[in-house]
Amino acid sequence: MRLLLVEDNVALADELCAGLKQLGYAVDWLVDGRDAAVQGAVEPYDLIILDLGLPGKSGMEVLQEWRANQITTPVLILTARSSWSERVDGLKAGADDYLTKPFHQEELFLRVQALLRRSHGFSNQTKIKVADLQLDEERQVAVQQGKEIILTAAEFSLLRYFMLHAGKLLSKGHLEEHLYAGELEPDSNVLEVHVSHLRRKLGKSCIETRRGQGYLFTGAPE
Amino acid sequence: MRRSISRQLTLGLTAILLLAGLLVVQTSFWLLEHGVRNYSQQRLQVQARNLLASLIRDEDEQLIVNERHHDAVFLQPFSGRYFVIELEGTHWRSRSLWDFQLLPLPQESFAQGLIPGPLGQQLLLYTGEYRYADSKIRVTVAQDYSPILASFRRAQMMGVALGFVVLLMVLLGQRWLVRKALKPLENARQQLLQLQSGQRARLEQQVPEEMQPLVEQVNRLLVHTEGRLKRSRNAVGNLGHALKTPLAVLTSLLARPELQAYPELLASLTEHLQQIEQRISREMARARLSGEALPGAYFDCEQELPSLIQLMITIHGERLQFSWQAPAQLRLPWERDDVLEMLGNVLDNAGKWARSKVQLQITQQGPYIVIHVDDDGPGIELQRREQVQQRGTRLDEQVQGHGLGLGIVRDIVDALAGTLTLNESSLGGLRVTLCLRLP
Repeated sequence: MRLLLVEDNVALADELCAGLKQLGYAVDWLVDGRDAAVQGAVEPYDLIILDLGLPGKSGMEVLQEWRANQITTPVLILTARSSWSERVDGLKAGADDYLTKPFHQEELFLRVQALLRRSHGFSNQTKIKVADLQLDEERQVAVQQGKEIILTAAEFSLLRYFMLHAGKLLSKGHLEEHLYAGELEPDSNVLEVHVSHLRRKLGKSCIETRRGQGYLFTGAPE
Repeated sequence: MRRSISRQLTLGLTAILLLAGLLVVQTSFWLLEHGVRNYSQQRLQVQARNLLASLIRDEDEQLIVNERHHDAVFLQPFSGRYFVIELEGTHWRSRSLWDFQLLPLPQESFAQGLIPGPLGQQLLLYTGEYRYADSKIRVTVAQDYSPILASFRRAQMMGVALGFVVLLMVLLGQRWLVRKALKPLENARQQLLQLQSGQRARLEQQVPEEMQPLVEQVNRLLVHTEGRLKRSRNAVGNLGHALKTPLAVLTSLLARPELQAYPELLASLTEHLQQIEQRISREMARARLSGEALPGAYFDCEQELPSLIQLMITIHGERLQFSWQAPAQLRLPWERDDVLEMLGNVLDNAGKWARSKVQLQITQQGPYIVIHVDDDGPGIELQRREQVQQRGTRLDEQVQGHGLGLGIVRDIVDALAGTLTLNESSLGGLRVTLCLRLP
C-alpha cells in the first residue's frame, strides 16, 4: 500500500510517517500544496491523507483539481477546521473521509484501514476476508481455518495488498511500485522471495503465477 | 396609524385643491358680478338720458312725458324697469311702478347696493340731474337686478358642482400617479421582506434615480456584512489551525512508547489536552456563529441535507441508517453554516448513541420551524434531561458523552432565539427537538 501524506507541520508529519510505516504502508510525505497537486495526479497512490491548511495551494483546491482530472484515489482530509459546513464542503469537493485535529494516531490508522477496505469493496467489514483467509490488521497476523499464522512486516503488507486486490492480475512492476515505492534495486528478487514465503505459510495455490503477466491471489488453500 | 406617503399626498393635494378651487370660483364670480353690475349701471345712466327725450311740451308749453316715446316695459306693471321724473314740483312715474313708491336719491348718484322693490324685487337705482330749457330735471331710473342675481347663483352652483367633479377626477388621477410613482418603493418593501425571510440575497438594482442610493447602500451593507462574517470565520479557522495542529502533535506524541512507562503522567496529560481541545472547539464554534445578523442568508434543505446525511453515513459507517424528511423546497431563513453546525452536531450526537437508525424531521408549524432528531440509542433518563433543559447549564459539564455537541447546538439555538428540548423518542432513544421562530 502506497500512501501520500500532505501535511505542513513537520513534527506531526514525522509522528504520522513513523506510525504509518510501522503499519506496513509505504509513505511519501509532501509539504507544499502545489507539489501535492502534481505528485498526487502522477504517482499511483492507494490513499492520500490531505491537510487543508497548506502552503502554496489550499488542500481544498488540490482536492478539487484532482477530482476534476478524474483522479479517484481515496482522500482522507485532515484538518483543524472542524465546522460542519467545512466538512460538508470537503465531502462535496470529493473527500472520502474527514478527521479533525487533534486526533489520536490510533483513530487515524483505523480510518485509513477502513477507507482502504471500503474503497476495495470490503465495506461494513472490520477485517479483510478472502475465501477462508482472514487478515487481522491490528495484530498483523493472518488467520486460516482458525489457525493463526505469524507474518513478518514485509509479508503482512504484501498479503494485505494481495487480499485487497483478490482475483485481480497484478504485475511485478505494479506490486513493486505500490509496496516499495520504487525503492528496490532493479532486478531485485525481493518480491519473489516474499511471495514464496507467503506460499509456504498459506499454501501453494493461494497465489497463482501467470508467466510473463504477474501474480493472481485466490486465497484458496492447497 | 403609521405615516403613509400616499395618504399624505392625497390629503395635502385635496386641501390645496379645495382651497385654490374655492378661491378661484369665488373671485371669478365676484369679478363677473362686479362687471355685470357696472354694465347695468351704465345702461341705467343711458336710459335716464334717453328718458329726457320723451319729454315734450304740451299745448300750454308745459313739459310732459310722452308715454308713446318710451319703452313698453315702463308701461307694464312691475316689469322690473321703473322711472320717476321730477320737474319743478311735478313728477311722473312710470306705469310699471303701479302703486309702489320709488324714492329718488337726494343728488345725482347710484344707490348704494340694492334697494328693495315691489314683489320682492331688488333694484339697482340711479338718479340723474339734468338741465332742460332752464329747468332742473331729476330722473330716477331703476332696474330689477334679482333675475341676474338668480342666474348668477345658478351658475355658481353649477360651478361648484363642476369644481367637485374636477376635484374628484384630479384626486383619482393623482392616486393613480402616486401609486405608479411609489411602485418602486412598494417593490423595495416586498424585496426587503423577501430578504428577511431568506428568499432573496440582494435588492434589485434597477430602481428610479431617487432610490438608487438607498438600494445601493443596502446592497453594499449586505456585501460588507457577508464579507466581515467570512473574514472573521477565516480568522477563527486560522487560529483554530494554529492551535489545533500543535495539539495534534502533542496528542500523537502521547502514543510514544517512552511515555507508556508513566501511566499517571500520561492520563493527566491526556485529560488536560482534551480539556483544551474541547474548550477551543466550543469557543471556535461560538465565534463562528452569525446569529441573526445576516439578512438574505438561507439554508436550502433539499440542497444541503443530502450531503450532510451522506457525511453522517461516512462518519458513522453503514451500520447506521440515516433518514431525513422536510417539506419540498423548504428554505430556512438562517445562515447556512449556523444551520449546518446545529444539525451536524445533533445528528452526530444521535449517531454516536444510536443502535441502528437516526431520523431527522423538519416541519413548519405556523411561525415556527420544528426540527426533530430521533435515535434508537439508550436515551437520557428523565432527571438528567430536566437538568439539561435548564437554561444556563453547561451541557458539556452536565451530560457526559452527550456533552460538547449539544452544548454547541444550545449556543446556536440561543443565538437564533429558539428552544432546545430533550424527550423520549418513539424509536426508543433520545428525541432532540429544536424549535425556532421564523423572523
